[in-house]
Amino acid sequence: MAERHDPLRGACKDFEQDLILYYYQDCAGIERRRVESHLVSCASCRRFLEELQSLLPATVKSDEPSPAFWQSYSREIRARLVTADEKSRWWDAISFPFRPWPVPAVATALVLAVALTLTFTKGRWPFHQTPPQERELVEMASVTDNLDFFNSFDFLDSMDLLEAVEGKEMQKSETSHQPL
Amino acid sequence: MVSSRPEESGDEELVTSAQRGERQAFEVLVDRYKQKAYRIAFDFTRDREEAKDLSQEAFLQAFSHLKGFDRRASFYTWFYRILVNLCLDYRRRRGRISWESLDERTEKGNGLDKIANPAPSPDQQAMGEELSRRIGAALATLPPKQRAVFLLKNHQGLSISEIATVMKAAEGTIKAHLHRAVMALRQRLTELA
Ligand SMILES: [Zn+2]
Repeated sequence: MAERHDPLRGACKDFEQDLILYYYQDCAGIERRRVESHLVSCASCRRFLEELQSLLPATVKSDEPSPAFWQSYSREIRARLVTADEKSRWWDAISFPFRPWPVPAVATALVLAVALTLTFTKGRWPFHQTPPQERELVEMASVTDNLDFFNSFDFLDSMDLLEAVEGKEMQKSETSHQPL
Repeated sequence: MVSSRPEESGDEELVTSAQRGERQAFEVLVDRYKQKAYRIAFDFTRDREEAKDLSQEAFLQAFSHLKGFDRRASFYTWFYRILVNLCLDYRRRRGRISWESLDERTEKGNGLDKIANPAPSPDQQAMGEELSRRIGAALATLPPKQRAVFLLKNHQGLSISEIATVMKAAEGTIKAHLHRAVMALRQRLTELA
């Protein structure tokens, strides 16, 4: 196979990626055998592999915090979870009437009530004045609109979580990922 | 319901209990994965306080979204994805942070282990710190996906297929990112040498 060398300190271009995977022991079967048999005859690739062996472990910077750190970590996260839990229970409690299934049920009941009221009290409300039930409907619609607004924040939150990894904001020069 | 010793329960059992509102079950999951989570966050931030905050934020996000966890992946894979997303997002939120000053802060403030030698002389220590700063700066210049793949491979020891699962990308794409990341690091560090 023709060997093109990297001017920096060459490995054969055709083997570069496999040599990196070989270094990480993430290359098996035919690929592994292909790399190993090439290494026997190519000094440049052997040098490249040695370079990886000295360079890459040096990039790891580990940290071993003390037991006191972990105790404080546990205390903090427990406190944050309690706060999050209380907030979520409180939100569940106040948003209960506006959840997906009660909304149509309440709306239907109200519409029915308004229809019946209008049928049986026709003419008793001046045309320009909104009957109380309709005012309730308008208020209800406004509350559910607001709720949708807040829900859309939740949705954006989830989308952010799921899509951040796709690096939408990342550099355009990068090759785009193919989803699995 | 979690067994009488929740810390002996499996992740699935704990998730089920936590989804039913048993916060204590989730706390067991936190205890189980906090060190791994912290180390991942530390790899991305190279800063102790930031790593603590980010990993805790990931647990909080997981807790808030637990009802939406559909078990198509294991809890850890799902959580890992949240954490990595936050780590990637962290860099975007912080903008161009000074990795050199972070390194300095972490090393001086926390007495971290040094890269090259377990008991270095002052000269070796200074060289180790200098190398660490250079490496931090070189890592910071990598495009985010390359950096994430590199850290998950080189620091976390995940296989290419595990990284592909976490990052929802094809294995070929992950290999290409890793290749580019290693070559870019090699070039930067050679230039600096
Ligand atoms: Zn070669």
